Amino acid sequence: MANPGGGAICNGNLHNHGKQSDGSASGNCAKNGIVKEAQQNGWPHVYDKPLVESFEEAPLHVMVFTYLGYGLGTLFGYLRDFLRSCGIEKCNAAIEREEQKDFVPLYQNFENFYTRNLYMRIRDNWNRPICSAPGSRFDVMERVSDDYNWTFRFTGRIIKDVINMGSYNFLGLAASYDESMRTVKDVLEEYGLGVASTRHEMGTLDKHEELENLVAKFLNVEAAMVFGMGFATNSMNIPALVGKGCLILSDELNHASLVLGARLSGATIRIFKHNNMQSLEKLLRDAVIYGQPRIRRAWKKILILVEGIYSMEGSIVRLPQIVALKKKYKAYLYIDEAHSIGSVGPTGRGVVEFFGLDPQDVDVLMGTFTKSFGASGGYIAGRKDLVDYLRVHSHSAVYATSMSPPVAEQIIRSMKFIMGLDGTTQGLQRVRQLAKNTRYFRQRLNEMGFIIYGNEESPVIPLLLYMPAKVAAFARHLLNRKIGVVVVGFPATPLAEARARFCVSAAHTREMLDTVLENLDEMGDLLQLKYSRHRKSARPELYDETSFELDD
Amino acid sequence: MNVGVAHSEVNPNTRVMNSRGMWLTYALGVGLLHIVLLSIPFFSVPVAWTLTNVIHNLGMYVFLHAVKGTPFETPDQGKARLLTHWEQLDYGVQFTSSRKFFTISPIILYFLASFYTKYDPTHFILNTASLLTVLIPKMPQLHGVRIFGINK
Repeated sequence: MANPGGGAICNGNLHNHGKQSDGSASGNCAKNGIVKEAQQNGWPHVYDKPLVESFEEAPLHVMVFTYLGYGLGTLFGYLRDFLRSCGIEKCNAAIEREEQKDFVPLYQNFENFYTRNLYMRIRDNWNRPICSAPGSRFDVMERVSDDYNWTFRFTGRIIKDVINMGSYNFLGLAASYDESMRTVKDVLEEYGLGVASTRHEMGTLDKHEELENLVAKFLNVEAAMVFGMGFATNSMNIPALVGKGCLILSDELNHASLVLGARLSGATIRIFKHNNMQSLEKLLRDAVIYGQPRIRRAWKKILILVEGIYSMEGSIVRLPQIVALKKKYKAYLYIDEAHSIGSVGPTGRGVVEFFGLDPQDVDVLMGTFTKSFGASGGYIAGRKDLVDYLRVHSHSAVYATSMSPPVAEQIIRSMKFIMGLDGTTQGLQRVRQLAKNTRYFRQRLNEMGFIIYGNEESPVIPLLLYMPAKVAAFARHLLNRKIGVVVVGFPATPLAEARARFCVSAAHTREMLDTVLENLDEMGDLLQLKYSRHRKSARPELYDETSFELDD
Repeated sequence: MNVGVAHSEVNPNTRVMNSRGMWLTYALGVGLLHIVLLSIPFFSVPVAWTLTNVIHNLGMYVFLHAVKGTPFETPDQGKARLLTHWEQLDYGVQFTSSRKFFTISPIILYFLASFYTKYDPTHFILNTASLLTVLIPKMPQLHGVRIFGINK
C-alpha cells in the first residue's frame, strides 16, 4: 500500500485527512494550493473535517540573524572565558581548589560553555517560583538578581494574578480548594497521606481498585492499572512488556520517559521520522523481511511507541494510518496519551476518540493524570490479560510506592466530573470550552501572522521565536504585563527553532485570552515576530468598506 | 535520554552545519570580514585579500579543528569529548555536503586572494601556508589523528 492516506505537502502546510480506512484514497483535488483527499463514505465519524498541521519555515533572513546571534554570543563567551581565566573578571561558577589542580578533572570545562555564557544571562526566565495553585491565574514570587543572574534574591513582593499560559491545566481542574473537592478532604482525613507500601505488599487500597475500574470505564477498555508517577509508568512498564529480541519503533520526538523505558528494556530501538508514515512503513517492512540483525530470526515482538500529542510540537499522531499499518504488519501499538487524554476528543477521551477509532485497536493505552485531571500519576489500560500480566510483572508494582489515596480520590472526582457521573454536564462543557478556546487562540494567532506549529485542534501551541535574545525579551516583557509563559531555546530545541509554548485551558475566559492576544500582538510588533507568510484572515474585508450603498 | 528536549538528536553539533541558512550566514560573515578589511585605509587591496584569507583560515582552524567537544552537555556519555567539531560533523560520515562545502570554500578564497595579489611571491607563501593548515586536517585520513599531541 503505497499511500496509506498520507497528506501532500504544499507551502509548508501538511493536510491530513482525519478519517482513513485501509483502502487508500487516490482522489485528490488541488484547490488554491491546498490538497484535500476525497471524502469517503465510510462509517460516520464525529470529526469530518480534514486535519491541518503546519510547520511553516521562516524566511531565510530570520535564520541568518539567528545564527549571527548565536555566533556573536559564542564570541563574547570566549572573550568572557578569557577574561575569567586571566583574572580580570570574577568567576562565579564552581572552580577547582588549588590542591586539586593536578587531579584528573571531574568535568570538562567546555561542556559548560553554553550554560555559563548564554543560559546564565537569561536564566531569570526559568524556574520561577509560584505561590498559588496553578489555575488560570496564579501568583509569582518576585525575584531580582544583583550579579547578572548568578544568584537571586526574593524581594518579598508577590506578583498577583498573572495569567497562566504555561501550566498543563487543560480542563481547569488544577485550581485551589472549593466545595466540589470535599470528597478529597474526607479521603485525606480517613486514609491519611502515605501508603507506605508497594502494590504487591500492602499498598493496594480499595481506592485504587475503584480508580482502576473507573479508568477502564472512561477509556472503554477491559481493564486498567494505575501507578504513582507518570514518568515512572513509562520507564517501569516498557521493560516489563518488551525485552531482548524485540524491536521498538519509536517516534523521533518521543518523550524522555519513553526513551528511557525503551533503553532499559534491552530491546532494539529504531527511530522513524516524526509522524512520517512512509518512514514507519519502511522500518516495519525491513523488520519483517530481514528479521533480527545477523541471526535473521523473526523478531519476538514489534512495538510501535508514539504519543498522542507531542508537547514540543503540538502535533497529533496519525492514528488511523498507524493502526492500519500495525494491522497489516502485525505489530503492537503503545500510545502515550499524556497530553491528549481529557483534552481532545468530543467527550475528552483522548486521541482514540478524536479519530473515532475503536480502543480495542490500540494494544496499550498509557496516559498520565497530571495534565487534565489536576493530580499526579499514570495509568496503563488495555485488555484484561495485559493488565493482569502487568499487575504481576511491572517493576513499579514490585518496587514503587503506590498512589496516595487523596490523589486517587482527586482523579476519581475529576474523572466522574468529565464523564458526567456527578450529575451535571459541566465536565462536557469544559471539554467543549477547551476545544473552542484552542480553535479561537490558534486562529487569532495565525491571523496576526505568527508562526505556530502543530495541529489545529491541539491545545499545546508552540509559537516560534527563533532568535536567542527574543526568547529572553519575550518572557520578560510578558511577565511585566502579568502573563506567564514557558519558553525553550537551543539546545533543547533544534538550533534555530527556539519557541514559546502556550497551553490553552478550559478555565481561560474569552477576556483572558483576548488580553493575552492583545499583549502578544504588541509584543509581535515590538520584537518583530510576525514572520508568517500565509496570512489567512477568517473575516472578510468588510472593514475596508466605508459605506454599503449600492451605487457608491 | 534527552531530558526536556524537543528532538532526539544525541549531539546537536553534528547537525548544526546542515541547518537551513547556515552556509549563507557563513558566506555573509566572510564577506563582512572582507569589507571591513577593505575599508581600513592602511591596507592595499592585495593586503586586504591576504588578510581576509589568513584570518578566515585562522578562525576556521580554531573553531573547526582545535576546539574539542561540545559547548553543551550531551547524553552520549562524552563520546564526542575528544573530537573536534569537524570530526563530529554528521557523526564522522565523510564527504557529506557540509564537509564538501567547507573544504571548497577556503580553496575558492585562496583563488580569489591569489588573483587579487597578482601572484606576488610573499603573498603566495602566506596564502598557501594558511590554506594548507586548513585543508590538511579535513582529509579523511586524518580523522582522529593528533599530530604532536593536541590531545587532552
